[in-house]
Amino acid sequence: MKQHAIHRQELYLFSRNTEGQQNCGGLASVVTLCIFLVQVSAKNRQNTEILLLWLPNASMEFRPRSYSAEYESHALPRVRADTHPFCAPPAPLAQVGAVDCKNTDFFDPLRGTDNNAKATSPDDYNLNEAYDHQPTKEWTSFRRLLMQKFPVSKMVSLSSMPDVLMRSGKLHEKSSTNIHLEELDDPQKFADEGVKTITWQEYVSRLHELKDEITRSWLAEDRVTSLRLSIKVAKLLTDTSVCEFYPTLFVLVTDIMDMLGDLVWQRIKQKAEFTEDGDLCCNLAENFEASNICADAKETCYNWFSKIGAVQELLPRIYLELAILPCWRFLLDQPLGSLRRLVMMTRGLGDPVASAYCRLYMAYRGQKLLSHDIGYLVTCVNDIRVILMQILSANERTHQNVKLIKNLQVSLMEPTIEYIMKCIFNGLSQRQVNEVLSELGLMKNQQDLGTVSCVSIVLHHLLKELPIEVVSSNVVQILHLIEFSKDNSFDQHMNYRLLGFRLCEWKSPVEIVNAVVDKVIQVIAQYDSLDKYLKVVDAYADLILQNQMDELLNTILEGISKRARNKGVTEDEMPSLQSLLVKLLSHFKCLEDVFSLDWFPEILNVMYGKPQDVVFLHILDMATRDSHISDPMSIQLIFEISRTLHDNMEFMNVKDDDSQVAHSISRFVHMVDCGAEMERHLAFLVDCRGAFGRLNELKETLVHSSNCLAIRALKSAEKHLSFIKSCITFSEVTIPSISVQKQFDLFLETAEVALLGGLVSHTDGLIDSAISCLHTLDIIDGFRTPADVDRLVSSIRKLCGFLIMVPGNFSLPVTYFPNNLFTLISSQSWFEPKMRTHVFSAIILLLTTLSQKRLPYHANTQIPGNDILYYGNSTYNQELVSLSKLVLENLISAVQQEPSQAARGIMALEACNCIASSFMVSKELSSVCLSLIETAKSCLSVQDRYLHSTIQHLNKQSTTFPGAMVSTFVS
Amino acid sequence: MSVVLKLSRPNRIYRPSEALEGKIVVKAQSSISHYGIRLNVKGSVNLQVRGGSAGVVESLYGVIKPIPILNRTIEVKPSGKISPGTSEIPFSLNLSQQDENSERFYETFHGANISIQYLVTVDISRGYLHKSLSATMEFIVESNKADLLQRPLSPEMVIFYITQDTQRHPLLPELKSGGFRITGKLSTQCSLSGQINGELTVETSAVPIHSIDLQLFRIESILLGERIATETSLVQTTQIADGDVCRNFTLPIYVVLPRLLTCPTTLAGPFSIEFKVAIVISFQSELSKMNKKSDPKTPRLWLAMETLPLELVRTK
Repeated sequence: MKQHAIHRQELYLFSRNTEGQQNCGGLASVVTLCIFLVQVSAKNRQNTEILLLWLPNASMEFRPRSYSAEYESHALPRVRADTHPFCAPPAPLAQVGAVDCKNTDFFDPLRGTDNNAKATSPDDYNLNEAYDHQPTKEWTSFRRLLMQKFPVSKMVSLSSMPDVLMRSGKLHEKSSTNIHLEELDDPQKFADEGVKTITWQEYVSRLHELKDEITRSWLAEDRVTSLRLSIKVAKLLTDTSVCEFYPTLFVLVTDIMDMLGDLVWQRIKQKAEFTEDGDLCCNLAENFEASNICADAKETCYNWFSKIGAVQELLPRIYLELAILPCWRFLLDQPLGSLRRLVMMTRGLGDPVASAYCRLYMAYRGQKLLSHDIGYLVTCVNDIRVILMQILSANERTHQNVKLIKNLQVSLMEPTIEYIMKCIFNGLSQRQVNEVLSELGLMKNQQDLGTVSCVSIVLHHLLKELPIEVVSSNVVQILHLIEFSKDNSFDQHMNYRLLGFRLCEWKSPVEIVNAVVDKVIQVIAQYDSLDKYLKVVDAYADLILQNQMDELLNTILEGISKRARNKGVTEDEMPSLQSLLVKLLSHFKCLEDVFSLDWFPEILNVMYGKPQDVVFLHILDMATRDSHISDPMSIQLIFEISRTLHDNMEFMNVKDDDSQVAHSISRFVHMVDCGAEMERHLAFLVDCRGAFGRLNELKETLVHSSNCLAIRALKSAEKHLSFIKSCITFSEVTIPSISVQKQFDLFLETAEVALLGGLVSHTDGLIDSAISCLHTLDIIDGFRTPADVDRLVSSIRKLCGFLIMVPGNFSLPVTYFPNNLFTLISSQSWFEPKMRTHVFSAIILLLTTLSQKRLPYHANTQIPGNDILYYGNSTYNQELVSLSKLVLENLISAVQQEPSQAARGIMALEACNCIASSFMVSKELSSVCLSLIETAKSCLSVQDRYLHSTIQHLNKQSTTFPGAMVSTFVS
Repeated sequence: MSVVLKLSRPNRIYRPSEALEGKIVVKAQSSISHYGIRLNVKGSVNLQVRGGSAGVVESLYGVIKPIPILNRTIEVKPSGKISPGTSEIPFSLNLSQQDENSERFYETFHGANISIQYLVTVDISRGYLHKSLSATMEFIVESNKADLLQRPLSPEMVIFYITQDTQRHPLLPELKSGGFRITGKLSTQCSLSGQINGELTVETSAVPIHSIDLQLFRIESILLGERIATETSLVQTTQIADGDVCRNFTLPIYVVLPRLLTCPTTLAGPFSIEFKVAIVISFQSELSKMNKKSDPKTPRLWLAMETLPLELVRTK
């Protein structure tokens, strides 16, 4: 409601029309001003101190001002702009134009400099660079998610305690010649039977130690030990009885594998690039060929593969070969064959979890071969599918306990399927997608789809990754697949749900969408559980709404309310319900339409808790989308919703949600418009004050609204003075309960309204309250941010502007308000010198204006201004002058108190300008100005433009007084 | 003072028709005077018979007289002085000489009873007053390219199947009754630079499988007068399957042959070196846990196995 601030100080400064008023000399009594300038240190200007001594007979005279002439001379010339400053620069032509009319004196903040445009380019470069490392970044984030997905319990149980986990130094004692024998009969394998436990911290820290040991041995040229330790580390992945710890273990172990792989790669690369003596012989390009590699490097590489090939156990052998997989490029140009072999070898891992994670590592390492073959990945998926089918078929005839283990296995395997699927479909063409689908056995025979089925968890991740065009063109087949893939690995309804979401991504033909949605709704009609029902319905809601399937919409709403009625709504079901209702709300334009839906109010009633708040907030936002709300029913409904939201708010901590609620309710209150029934509107505001007592922001809106109401009453044909009075009183009573920072502005605003309404005594009271609330401000902590201070200073200046219109009260001194303001600010120590300078200057300018024969503006014709009330009253002018003297004295000392040099210079210039505009030039004042200019010169640079323009201004003002000293200032 | 031999090839592999090349690196603080720097190359087949397969009398002899292949010495430098610091003296020596009527060059092999080894030794003799400086290094001999098998490697695979009925040793009752069937194929001839290739499928098995391993054996035979002493020993075990694998999955057999521990199948007069592989299936059983260490050759109640001959050849 800021628009109700009727007059601004700027107006006051520039809009006075005072033609024909030349001289005010007769008005001022003769007062002699004596200034003693004591220069403590004449050489050092920065330490200049001015002691002012005011004698009772110092002469001071207000300068008559022509506000309109000043405005004319100070305003920038206006030029019509061809383009809007905020629209994008259309062509370089405009740029040329901008340069042409560039005024060096004037900086346009809207015109961006060229530097800004250039500054963004390095970021682009960084992005490109980051793109190169994306696979590793993506892998890193995948690994993090993997670890987060399976929280680890404190203790890790193992089927046997491997010797690497025990801190014994024995590892180093075995000689390298024994490796083969050692691997022949692994003494530890069966050594400790039975379940062993270790804390996971211990496990992890031991792995970190092992990593360090491997690096250390490598650096000490003891690569055999590095390899041997790495084999032992890889072997840890054989034991899947660690359950939830397995993914974490996988991440830690593969980290070590990657490191070893990098070390080997670096070593061979170095052999290929440098001679034995360490001279560089060639630089390998990124896509080098095996023929570029020297025999020595190849020999080393071959040796590594033989060493790893000799590892007895299958799992560490595969992991280690994957670790050094990129090294195949030193030997072969087409190393894909080894990847295909490794896929087949992985089938030898009997443990489903271990083999799935091995395939995961394969999918990751395979990317390092710089080939885009995905055949091996498809084999991976097919193998995992076969394994899953075996797990699931066993599921049906086993005990509950075994079932739990199997379920855990499936959930452990899920991320591996997800990642491999992602790798497969990353940037695939349509033709390739079809090939993959037929390889996966899903596109064998278009006619015979009924017989094709898939493991539902595999299907889920396939459906997630399939390009949307493929989903869209095969949607009926996919629906069949989902229908026939019903097993325990994944909930079938979640696949229906996913299909719904995928369909929303792409505009499919209406008849297909109809068929699919019909079918799905049929299927879920069988569901008993509200949760499942909601999860599926939520996914199809957008489709139903977009295609205007009103009948289906009714069906699903009925379905929800029926199920909710039967079993109630649990906490878990709330999020789906919330999501559905929010979709519904955002689809409809008008709130009435939503509420007229058959089952909607009933469903709304079953909601509770946080989701209810979210939905209510949506309704509230929807209601306040239009320009105003006038229907009493709606107002009542939204008021109730707002009240619920308000009562549910947690005021303990400042949350974004809460401020959003507060904001929306304020908006609602602001929107309410009862038209001619203003009494009802005021009553509504009173209700709001009672209902939303905890919202500060809202109370502000209430004050603005009631002030607005008062203005509207004022403007209407018959004036309801008593109604206006009620509004003002409402505001007056409400303001004190708002936080102190806001009070000053609100009091001022209300005072303005009161004055317009002719309620002068109310105005006086409100101004008094405004000034006295400054008293309490200093108690508030954290108030004095620079922005807050600036706002307060400008509000005080606005008050000064307003006071010009307020008629004097004969029972009070004529300078009652300015004096109060001045006294208060002088007495409050927290007003900094800078603030004081601004406020004191404003008070002096106010007093100057009040002394003019005609005031620059009036409230309206009914309220007489002081120029009429006190016309020709000599004591009136005397009082003004004596207060100005006092203020001026304080102003100058405030300037001297400023500690910061630059600020002090600016403040001295401001004071100087204020004196020059307010008073006639006299000898004494001139010397004050001189010393202020000296202060400014000592603080600012010689080129400072403010300094120059101030000196010019002084010269101009003093020309009316020949022989003034100011002319000598020009340097 | 130190002397080191450095061969021209990092992998130290040479063929009989080639020259052994390299350098002698001498590091010395002060100058050394010497009575000549000589290089000796020596190759021999070393045989020994341990108890068991050999008779009591023969075992007393232990080591049988080695069969020499090559023994030649050349003088790299006549007597003179070696200056202080690091000096490098290059050498080159033809391994075989046309006129010489020596033994065949067998490939390097490190076995249990038979060891075929080639050594190069440098000797800097410094008279009676000083200890002579010397260094020895093994180098590896592979067959001449010209002598290699001309015909391509036989692509033949032997097909095998392992069931409870193919086993000649007693099995656990549950294995007997439940039954199992593992089939596969394996190459019978294999290049030393390649791998043992094949595949294997678990078709049925009532008892869960614990592990499937491929064991590589060497069969070393030595002629002792009238008798032949033969010993079979394990070279390397490679796991093919770990745990109870899916039925009807084809698992690849891929075994990299270890260097030095293998050589071409050799049938010489006084000795022979042959190889075979065994596919060993161990089933999950409480009994196996009790016997932690066991001789791989001994058939056990919970094991099923199939042994196949393997011919190793050197190809181009």
